[in-house]
Amino acid sequence: MSIFEYNGAAIVAMAGKECVAIGSDLRFGVQFQTLATDYKKVYKIHDKLFIGLAGLGTDAQTMYQKLKFRHNLYKLREERNIKPSTFGELVSSVLYEKRFGPYFVSPVIAGLDDKTSAPYICGMDTIGAIETADDFMVAGTAPDSLYGMCESMFRPDMEPEELFETVTQCLMSGADRDALSGWGAIVYVITKDKVVARTLKGRMD
Amino acid sequence: MDKLDFSGLCSRPFSEKSSAHLEDLSAITSSVQDFPLPQVQDVDRFESEVMAYVKPNHGTTTLGFIFKHGVIIAVDSRASMGSYISSQTVKKVIEINPYLLGTMAGGAADCQFWQRNLGQQCRLYELNNGKRISVRAASKLLANVMFSYKGYGLSMGTMVAGYDPTGPGLYYVDSDGQRTKGQIFSVGSGSLYAYGVLDNGYKWDMEVEDAIELGRRSIYHATFRDAVSGGTVSVYHVTANGWKKVRGDDVGELHYEYYPAAEAHPCFGTDPLEAA
Amino acid sequence: MANVAYQLGSSGYAANSAHSAPHAHPSWSPYDNNGGTCVAVAGNDYCIVAASTRLSTGFSILSRDVSMIFKLSDKLMILSPGFQADARTLHKVLQQRYIQYQFNHSRPMSVAACAQLLGNTLYYKRFFPYYTFNICAGLDEQGKGAVYSYDAIGSHERSGYAVQGSGKDLIQPVLDNQLKAASPLVLPPENWMSSLPLDQAVDLVKDAFVSAGERDIYTGDAVEIYIITKEGTRREVVELKKD
Repeated sequence: MSIFEYNGAAIVAMAGKECVAIGSDLRFGVQFQTLATDYKKVYKIHDKLFIGLAGLGTDAQTMYQKLKFRHNLYKLREERNIKPSTFGELVSSVLYEKRFGPYFVSPVIAGLDDKTSAPYICGMDTIGAIETADDFMVAGTAPDSLYGMCESMFRPDMEPEELFETVTQCLMSGADRDALSGWGAIVYVITKDKVVARTLKGRMD
Repeated sequence: MDKLDFSGLCSRPFSEKSSAHLEDLSAITSSVQDFPLPQVQDVDRFESEVMAYVKPNHGTTTLGFIFKHGVIIAVDSRASMGSYISSQTVKKVIEINPYLLGTMAGGAADCQFWQRNLGQQCRLYELNNGKRISVRAASKLLANVMFSYKGYGLSMGTMVAGYDPTGPGLYYVDSDGQRTKGQIFSVGSGSLYAYGVLDNGYKWDMEVEDAIELGRRSIYHATFRDAVSGGTVSVYHVTANGWKKVRGDDVGELHYEYYPAAEAHPCFGTDPLEAA
Repeated sequence: MANVAYQLGSSGYAANSAHSAPHAHPSWSPYDNNGGTCVAVAGNDYCIVAASTRLSTGFSILSRDVSMIFKLSDKLMILSPGFQADARTLHKVLQQRYIQYQFNHSRPMSVAACAQLLGNTLYYKRFFPYYTFNICAGLDEQGKGAVYSYDAIGSHERSGYAVQGSGKDLIQPVLDNQLKAASPLVLPPENWMSSLPLDQAVDLVKDAFVSAGERDIYTGDAVEIYIITKEGTRREVVELKKD
């Protein structure tokens, strides 16, 4: 079994009209044994920037703490929040530092531009090769299921409520075909003036 | 190369004077020769690589126990290939005849095929002898077939449960050829979780309703903890009048029946990083 | 006994055996995967059967117009993605058994009988399997859609819809989302057939293939669809992207 499948995850990020949504499942397990069902894999960097970290749990937590630290330094120096695209480059370079002994995580970044409110979504591999998308990005132990759902459900320029519904359906139906993810989900919808987080009930098997 | 003569162990009749009903049985008790083997030097290695390549269905929780009012059989319904869930609606209880049940764990195809084959053998026994086969004999028929294929890589962990004139019967039979009589069994990847609940709640003289609920709850808890068990919980009750399916619950709904408030569940704690 | 070495997938086995067995054929494998996706949807009075028409090996496309649907009759079809050489052989065996059945019983084979026959045929190759992942679909004796799906060694199950082949992971959750009905195992029993009207179900299948074609390199070129109803069987071809 791959080290990426040790803990299990499902993450989806999707862009709408002046809004983005990002969500993860809630399972934390060791191989086929479920240990917790309240384990969020999406972390907040600032009010308009979230990062989802799929892959090995221990590396995801370390990555998050490192990124939080780098963002705090950035804020002290620049006295402003980091731009989503800049943060993407930061994550990439943090990952590439460990080119020959990588963190086993696949990050997905979702954010809104502070000035233009343009959505920003990107994903990358374990060593930091960025792939930006203007529609959606997925990561986790069943990426094909999530891609299949997103590919069929996505429509350009969705409003926040419709975007939430779409991400929810993609996440839930995608995770229902994966033994290593699911057990409920959490979805964040980021708009110009607020973030709405909703916890979703799902199949608990 | 010399070959040892194992023909005595085969399920085919080996005596010239074999009786008529054994001749009949040989028609459906397939022997190894019916299954073509690959023309390779290292068959064992080929088999293990082929199984990794075709990835047959796996992953299960099943249980069975005898109590005062008969036998309870409970199973989940998920089939998975690695971490991919290939079906949530597998029928893991095989209804051999109105008084006999078999359960499925391990390779889905191996269980389906050989339990169907067992059903044929049991029916022929009935026609030849004018009476129903005992649970003891039925389980032995299956164990004999499994023994004759020992080393060929079959994967099957099954319980044969039923009722005959001697009372309730429950046997564990697996693809190694092992056959054990018992009062409580649980088989499959989620069996340890099920045993935890089952052993804790089992009493010989429990009421029928309590026994059904114990079976259902044991499977539910296994589906919660074991990633490759899930789908629906099916419960069967076997008495002197034969078996009856008494429960069929979708686990997606069953969880919220047991835990109406999500926050009340023990697995709902606090986030270690308090993120977001 | 023939001395045939074997290799499955692209593991490092070839390099190892080249040293130990110089006379064997280290790179030869009895199996290949030719890709392709199949979908079948059963309704109360119809059955939709669809398969992509691309035939590939590795990163190469061998053909853009090969049918994976084997018609035993107008109302009974077998879909076999996987290794096409094994699929053809399997189809030949089934065709022969199908004709023999009609001579013996003086009536066409039911879907249920064919489903069991296919299961047994696959299982009899338990130790040297056909590398095919089949769907058996048609109309049952009541005129309802019937879909059976299989693993490579013959385990099978009837369901309201089925997906097999290279695009399975992409399409299956979409159909789960749109068609999911109650499980056939629940008590008291509930209707578990797909309740979508025929035209909507056909559109769903087409959309699913278009989506799968975006992400799966083995699905593309065209999708061949058979729509089976009591009145008869209709064939449609929808073009997909050719990249």
